[in-house]
Amino acid sequence: MRYPRIIDDGSVWIVIVPPLIWALHFLAAYWIAAVWCAREAGSLTPAAWSIIVLTILALVAISLIGRVAAVRYGGFTRPGRESAGDTQADRRQFLGHVALLLCVLNAAAVMMTAIPSVMFGRC
Amino acid sequence: MRMPKHIWLALVGGLAGCDGRHSWLAGAGAEARLIEDLFWPFLIGAVAIWTAVMVFAVIAFRRRPKGSDERIGRAIILWGGGVLPAVVVAALLITGLLTLRAMASRPSALTVHVDAEQWWWRVIYETPDGKVFSANEIRLPLGKTTLLMLTSDDVIHSFWAPALGGKLDMIPGRTNRMTLTPVRTGRWGGLCAEFCGAAHAQMRFEVVVMEPDAFRDWLVAESEPAAPSALRMERGLSLFLDEGCAACHTVRGTQANGRVGPDLTHLAARGRIGAGLLALSDANLRRWITHTTDVKPGVRMPSYPAMPPDDLDQITQFLMALE
Repeated sequence: MRYPRIIDDGSVWIVIVPPLIWALHFLAAYWIAAVWCAREAGSLTPAAWSIIVLTILALVAISLIGRVAAVRYGGFTRPGRESAGDTQADRRQFLGHVALLLCVLNAAAVMMTAIPSVMFGRC
Repeated sequence: MRMPKHIWLALVGGLAGCDGRHSWLAGAGAEARLIEDLFWPFLIGAVAIWTAVMVFAVIAFRRRPKGSDERIGRAIILWGGGVLPAVVVAALLITGLLTLRAMASRPSALTVHVDAEQWWWRVIYETPDGKVFSANEIRLPLGKTTLLMLTSDDVIHSFWAPALGGKLDMIPGRTNRMTLTPVRTGRWGGLCAEFCGAAHAQMRFEVVVMEPDAFRDWLVAESEPAAPSALRMERGLSLFLDEGCAACHTVRGTQANGRVGPDLTHLAARGRIGAGLLALSDANLRRWITHTTDVKPGVRMPSYPAMPPDDLDQITQFLMALE
């Protein structure tokens, strides 16, 4: 039997990935700031730059997922059209829609996680 | 309609928080003013959003359904339920962080260590001539920024002088830093804001904001040993030593050098006793010595209910002479 790729058509994993990216970004940002400040307790700049690079990577990853999700949903906005049927196509659209909304939410969450490291110069 | 009595009482109890000594709206510190500057826009914004939501709800329930509602409803959900909250939350986060940054970036002229203990405050001033020990009262010079190094020896406490600035946890094994820049002289109230055991509610302190010159004179006086007039009270002093007070309390210039309880070298120069509980007076000091656990349930200091009246007179006179 062939196992589907993690975000293959029909796989529900596409809705797990954006929150997962946010969670990993949050953990990494927290660890970097905590370890850096425990060891250095001075300038935050190097830690801030690492967090900014991680943030850019996370946003790129989320936007790639978002693009896949938008293709499945059939565009970014489709007002008035519901995915309420029980066909493969409806399922694909529905998962695409959910994943797209999650991408928007998690992109905002990732940016909010990064804001403090940009605003503070010292630990 | 008459409002039931208990509701009035609850409202009056709530207003007690507006008492100036403990009010963060008193504007007594630069840091408190920063927080106040944040509070009013937050409050006005929250009221505006709440009112708008209520108005929308009333309109939605009262009007007759129409064909175009679906499209309008979707737009409201997208903009009112998605975009607007995201923008508002981001704005709140950024303004909150800006306030925090402004509060954290003041260079300080004085460093004071505050160690929280169950249930009192050890206060140590850093001066060029060495450390000056005190307790339960923090004196600060007007208009100067003081760096407070906050820590704890037992459980988690929290330092809060609402009229002057923010609130910060005091965690065993960690030193948290906080600055206070008083802009109004006076006596301000402070308290422990993290439940820390039986006498948590009686763990208070006073912050006395003084003119810089007066503060400098006071700090010199505070660094001196006990007043000679007190040390001449031999009977009171020997009672203080013999009754065991010296095992926990220090009075510099005598053999009393206990470190478990507050330093009492200049007790009579403070405004309050029992960690901010009672005003300093002869009567309150007697009550404190004889009924300690009644005044402050859970306190580590034992009561001396059976102390002979003459001994109590002598020991109280000695303590009241520690200026």
